[in-house]
Amino acid sequence: MRRNKRFAWMAGMLALILVLAGCGGSKNSGSNGGGTSGDAASSGKKVKISVWAMGDEAKQLPSIAEEFMKENPDIIVEVQALPWANAHDKLLTAVASKSGPDVIQMGTTWMAEFVNAGALKDLTPYIDQYPELAPEQFYEGAVGTTKFGDKIYGIPWYTETRFLYYRSDLLAEVGYAEPPKTWDELRDAAKKLAERGEGKYGLSIDMNEQSLTFMFARQNGSRLLDENGKPLFNEPEFREAVEFLKGFFDDGSAPLDLGLDAVQAFAGDGIVPMFISGPWMINIIQTQAPDLEGKWSVAPLPAKKNNLSVLGGSNLTVFEYSKHPEEALAFIRYMSKKETQVKWNELTKSLPANIAAWDEVPALHEDPKYQAIREQLEHSEHLPMIVQWEKIAQTYLESFERIVRADADIQAELDAFNAEAERILSK
Amino acid sequence: MKIFTPRSAPYLFIAPALILLFLFSLLPIVIALVISFTDMDLAGLTDYSNIRFVGFDNYADILRDASFVKAIGNTLFYVVFGVPFVILFSLSVALLINFGKSRVFDVFRAAFYMPSVTNVVAVAVVWSYLYNPSLGLFNTILNAVGLPGVRWLQDPVIAKISLIILALWRAIGLNMLIFLAAIKGIPKTYYEAAQLDGAGTWKQIRYITVPLLKFAIFFVTVTTLIGWLQFFEEPFVMTDGGPLEGTMSVALFVYKNGFQFSEFGYAAAGSFILFFAIIVLTLLQFKLQRHED
Repeated sequence: MRRNKRFAWMAGMLALILVLAGCGGSKNSGSNGGGTSGDAASSGKKVKISVWAMGDEAKQLPSIAEEFMKENPDIIVEVQALPWANAHDKLLTAVASKSGPDVIQMGTTWMAEFVNAGALKDLTPYIDQYPELAPEQFYEGAVGTTKFGDKIYGIPWYTETRFLYYRSDLLAEVGYAEPPKTWDELRDAAKKLAERGEGKYGLSIDMNEQSLTFMFARQNGSRLLDENGKPLFNEPEFREAVEFLKGFFDDGSAPLDLGLDAVQAFAGDGIVPMFISGPWMINIIQTQAPDLEGKWSVAPLPAKKNNLSVLGGSNLTVFEYSKHPEEALAFIRYMSKKETQVKWNELTKSLPANIAAWDEVPALHEDPKYQAIREQLEHSEHLPMIVQWEKIAQTYLESFERIVRADADIQAELDAFNAEAERILSK
Repeated sequence: MKIFTPRSAPYLFIAPALILLFLFSLLPIVIALVISFTDMDLAGLTDYSNIRFVGFDNYADILRDASFVKAIGNTLFYVVFGVPFVILFSLSVALLINFGKSRVFDVFRAAFYMPSVTNVVAVAVVWSYLYNPSLGLFNTILNAVGLPGVRWLQDPVIAKISLIILALWRAIGLNMLIFLAAIKGIPKTYYEAAQLDGAGTWKQIRYITVPLLKFAIFFVTVTTLIGWLQFFEEPFVMTDGGPLEGTMSVALFVYKNGFQFSEFGYAAAGSFILFFAIIVLTLLQFKLQRHED
């Protein structure tokens, strides 16, 4: 098996190129039928569009697509669910073969890469045409992830932000009736929680979470990149954030290599009673640890100079090589409507990007958890939307690992990381 | 026109295999070689005019890349410990099973072969549970007998060993079968003659079985070496190359740069360095083998 890997890889590259050559020719010659609508002849002028969606929410999407098809009998929507882990590979193949989906759910962090590759259709001309797509009705931060230069390449679908999950009962035991509001309080609360005894900790810091340090650095006033796009990762603002995070490991407030997932560590005795994550964890905690109800809550992140969080989520985009951009857009328009966004929240608990939808869902404006999230959402910004960001963030994680595990000198490590980031950015 | 002439018939028979070999092995290698001299990335995939030839830049850069150098070191670690252990263990298991006359040993043979036919990803997921520092079976057992837990996948060196143990467990089955088949092929008369001369079991193994297994051992060495040089699935599923890049193999480095960062040119250069390393090491083995003869 192992030795087949390289051949598989090479065969893959070859397949890409063959498909490229083959499809390029055949698609051009098969004029008005369109490659994706096989049964065009039998059922009038029905058009089939294919939607690639990722993650758990993709499993719920067919039920919404069903309703869309009732309203639009001429369009058949085929939803293909991809696991997030495979989605990037699948998209690369689609881009290489210039064929595949019509509508793609695009994680905000991937926007820059695929826009830069020319894989997504410029939607700017359609924005004025359809009021459902007007940027004003979405969160500004979410719109920010769709704009490159003065062009718009996607429509916000749902949004995400990071905030603090905490065990209210355990925090109260160590003297915190309210969740920590500042960095110092967070530090202190984590320490006190860790002092409950052997094998107990305060705050979970995920060593594989790309955005964490950048988020804390911005809270400390770092701009990450200056106005010319030069990295500022070895400046004091950034270094202090790294030192702050490392401090949790140094005094045992944060576990290293616990091997428990977030809910396992959060439930029961609360081995790790605080962690920072996104809205998807609410559902997971409620289903996996229902007896915890009333003993936990969420709060906006503690602040240093500010409490800026990282905005994420997904946009809906149209594949550049789609044969049916109009129909694809019809589907996207349906998805971004207030009514659909409300229904979508009921199905998946994901946060609507459409601002008006928030007032429609009772849970969203009555539940104190969602109020805290909304407050955080207004203090959230996406990370730099540049092609090289993924590589920079991965490179940073390696530096951070050396700092935490191997006790590397922080300034030296950050100087090296900054130099590497400069090299990556100059490419 | 007659196609099936006596002259052309053999070529026609091997043509399907040759065409497949050309299309899916040789041509991709050539294409990868060309890509390794370009700066091909995602933008280059969509529009070929974005691709530039950069000469040997990729090769120069990658050899200066600390991660790649580390990946080479790790891969050598895997090879140096993995290959001898695979041979030693699978040969021992084959010999032991061969000694058994009872029907039970057929069951053992199947049991030892089982890991080879199990899906590697499923196996790796199960093993990551076994290795889990808090909940894993291994640490639970260690703690139960009063020993401290081991950081199976959290320490850069131990993590490498943990992955080797897993891969070893998987590799024994197939190689055991190869050895078993070879052992069965040794004529009984040699052993009878040796017994008449008073050779004990150990001496029979030492002076008859092992020397006559030379070709099987050589075959297993070559295939195992190639396999370990391309060590990929275990670190990919279990550690993603961490901690501190301690389990990053060259193949995983290539995959990450190719499919995570979309730097196809850079990744192709890495895969070519691996490719040549494999060819050189394999030729070296053939040379040594011939030298012994």
